[in-house]
Amino acid sequence: MFTNLLKKKFPSLLCAFLFFSCSEEPSIQTYFIPPEYDGAIVTWNLPDTWGENPDLTGPMAGSFHVKTKSGQQGRIGVMPFRETVSTIDVANMFGREMGYPSFTEENLASILQEKKIGNRTFEWLHLNSQNDSGSSSRRTALLALLRQEGDTWLFPFIADQKLVMQESDNFIRFLDSCTLRPEKNKPILAKSPPLPSKPKTQTAPPPINNPWTWTIPDSWTKGNPSSMRIASFKVEDQNEGELDISVTSFPGNVGGLLANVNRWIGQIDLPPVNQSSINQYCNERTLAGNAGHLVEAYGKEKAVLAGILFLESESWFFKLIGDRQLAEKEKTHFIDFIDSVVLKAEAKKK
Amino acid sequence: MKASRNGSSLGQRRKDFKFLLPLASIRLTLTLLSLSMILIFIATLEQVRIGIRGALAEYFESFYGIWYYPEKFWGGEFLHNIPLPIPGGYLLGGLLIINLTSAFIVRFQWTMKKVGIQLVHLGIILLLVGQLVTQAIQEESRMQINKGEESNYIERFHGVELALREVSDPNKEKVVTIPQEILENEGSLIDQSLPFTIKVHHFGVNCDFDIIPPGKPKSNIAKMVNRGVGHSANLNIIDKDEDFSSEGMNFGYLVFELFDQDKSIGNWMTIAHPAGNQVWSQLSPKLSDMSFQSIRHKGKLWGVTLRQKREYLPFSIELLDIENEYYQGTEIPFNFESDINLHLEDNQTRRALVYMNTPLRHGGMTFYQYQMNDAANYSVFQVINNPSWLVPYIACILVSIGMLWQFSFHLVKFLRKNSKSPANA
Repeated sequence: MFTNLLKKKFPSLLCAFLFFSCSEEPSIQTYFIPPEYDGAIVTWNLPDTWGENPDLTGPMAGSFHVKTKSGQQGRIGVMPFRETVSTIDVANMFGREMGYPSFTEENLASILQEKKIGNRTFEWLHLNSQNDSGSSSRRTALLALLRQEGDTWLFPFIADQKLVMQESDNFIRFLDSCTLRPEKNKPILAKSPPLPSKPKTQTAPPPINNPWTWTIPDSWTKGNPSSMRIASFKVEDQNEGELDISVTSFPGNVGGLLANVNRWIGQIDLPPVNQSSINQYCNERTLAGNAGHLVEAYGKEKAVLAGILFLESESWFFKLIGDRQLAEKEKTHFIDFIDSVVLKAEAKKK
Repeated sequence: MKASRNGSSLGQRRKDFKFLLPLASIRLTLTLLSLSMILIFIATLEQVRIGIRGALAEYFESFYGIWYYPEKFWGGEFLHNIPLPIPGGYLLGGLLIINLTSAFIVRFQWTMKKVGIQLVHLGIILLLVGQLVTQAIQEESRMQINKGEESNYIERFHGVELALREVSDPNKEKVVTIPQEILENEGSLIDQSLPFTIKVHHFGVNCDFDIIPPGKPKSNIAKMVNRGVGHSANLNIIDKDEDFSSEGMNFGYLVFELFDQDKSIGNWMTIAHPAGNQVWSQLSPKLSDMSFQSIRHKGKLWGVTLRQKREYLPFSIELLDIENEYYQGTEIPFNFESDINLHLEDNQTRRALVYMNTPLRHGGMTFYQYQMNDAANYSVFQVINNPSWLVPYIACILVSIGMLWQFSFHLVKFLRKNSKSPANA
């Protein structure tokens, strides 16, 4: 009976196994989560006749212009104020530009209006330029001020009076479309932890302080950070040649001179050497006042140059690896670099 | 009579499953086991060159791998350029399962006398199947929590996704994620959840990136970026091979263009930081928006970022306190422990202490203490989700019972035989 069952089910069992062995087909997922974003949220719908100015300056959260036949005209802005700002200060800020004397509460009250747009109420202020009152291109600043709990938003629209009048309906529609939410108060604790290279992990050795200082050649730029490196530099040329320069330190002698030299020359596709033939790549050299080694090896396409310093309880490696032609060009700089290595304390004395 | 019935049962099975006979061959078993040894030897050699993850992907998580004889070995200068196909873990494991299952059906006698052997083989089959299932469904992630805060998501160690978040609604965020597998195919992406079309220009699993002075030449990939952080920070990126080494940090990158219907909105660049995108703000203020590059579209604010693949959990973990202990007079860690509150789905809270080798198990996941930084007050858990974690235990128990049975059976038989035979004085 079992045999018959097995006989009947074997192909379907095999198919089921193969089916379930296949991984899930990747797809675009959509889901909803409670709000995580704690930055300011400012959004709007722009009227068709308006355009966005790409480069924001100062406190602006948004900057726009009106597209006209004669080009871009007018300035419309969105300015958030974290703290409560007085209407008189705002009026004076723009009033001075328009040639008004300083406002007082009394004379401001005569031109200040309230305007309800959607379910929000704006303070509404029209300031016409006092300097060109007879001109057809009289400048006007239409200021809309929205006060929300804990924050204030200012929307200035500055343009010729004619344009402001013409675009006033668009301005109102624009204000109605705005979503305005200030940046949430961040906790005192940093939201972001420090770089991963810094934390002490269960496996990583404790970080070694850098006691050295050195002079970096002008042609070198800062390289990518890494948890293993004390310092990192790189050199690039126009032929896409690259050199990676690193300063690393490890406790102990990390296998000794021969093991490290063989590991490095392996990286540039050269056969390993033994103790008797290591001299073809390695010479003794004084580094930072200590007896050290200089390794110089050139493969077909790559090269490695390195200064090694075995101290009592730790080893220091100053290594350059990369494109052979560029390495040959940078050799002098590299030698200057390792020769410039001195203890920070000694450098201070000098 | 019983033996004869069993014998005929085996005969019947052999007749019914004739096609399985070649697959049940002991020679095939030995061949597969020998090839497995070769595979392990070669993968171990290659591990030095391409790292553990590389060797796993090339040789074990595949049907075949291509191996080049090392140049440094004897005769390497001639043999190095010849590609040698090596049967991969999936192929050998799959064939071994078929081989053992076939043997079970057409070669083994289903008698009490042999039940031990059957159990041993059943255990081995279970071990192989379990490993295959684990390979397919096990996922390793990390959860990082600041002290005093709580987290309800985990991020994969490997694999990224493009996340587009619509944050205008004060009560909820809409998140649309596009996995790496889809980004790798490049081309245009349209989804009804998105108000724009995304055209993927370049995607890579790793890159070198640098903020360069204006006017300095950029790579072709970076040249086309005209919006967002890539543009404002004058970022240059150069594509790089994936680093499979255990210390390797892979910065996945994406250059994409957004279209509002047929009209291009611009080209953006986004890079995923392997330690989480919250790190960007500490690398450079210019890069701090990399975790949320804002895009305003039709009155909505969208944020776009490439991040480690994220999974939200139905529960959250609050980090109450952390403690580091070191061996006296050294900086060698002795113990790391995290004091946590587990906030469950039904508003219940469970207090737990997670420390080295004592993980927290909840919701099918195991949270191991992974990293800790007492200066910055945060803790990182390694999160393993492996629904088949019990299978190897069950398999080992089956093998043990089988062996015990088989030895006991022979021992009893031997003792009986001994007691029946006349004692020699």
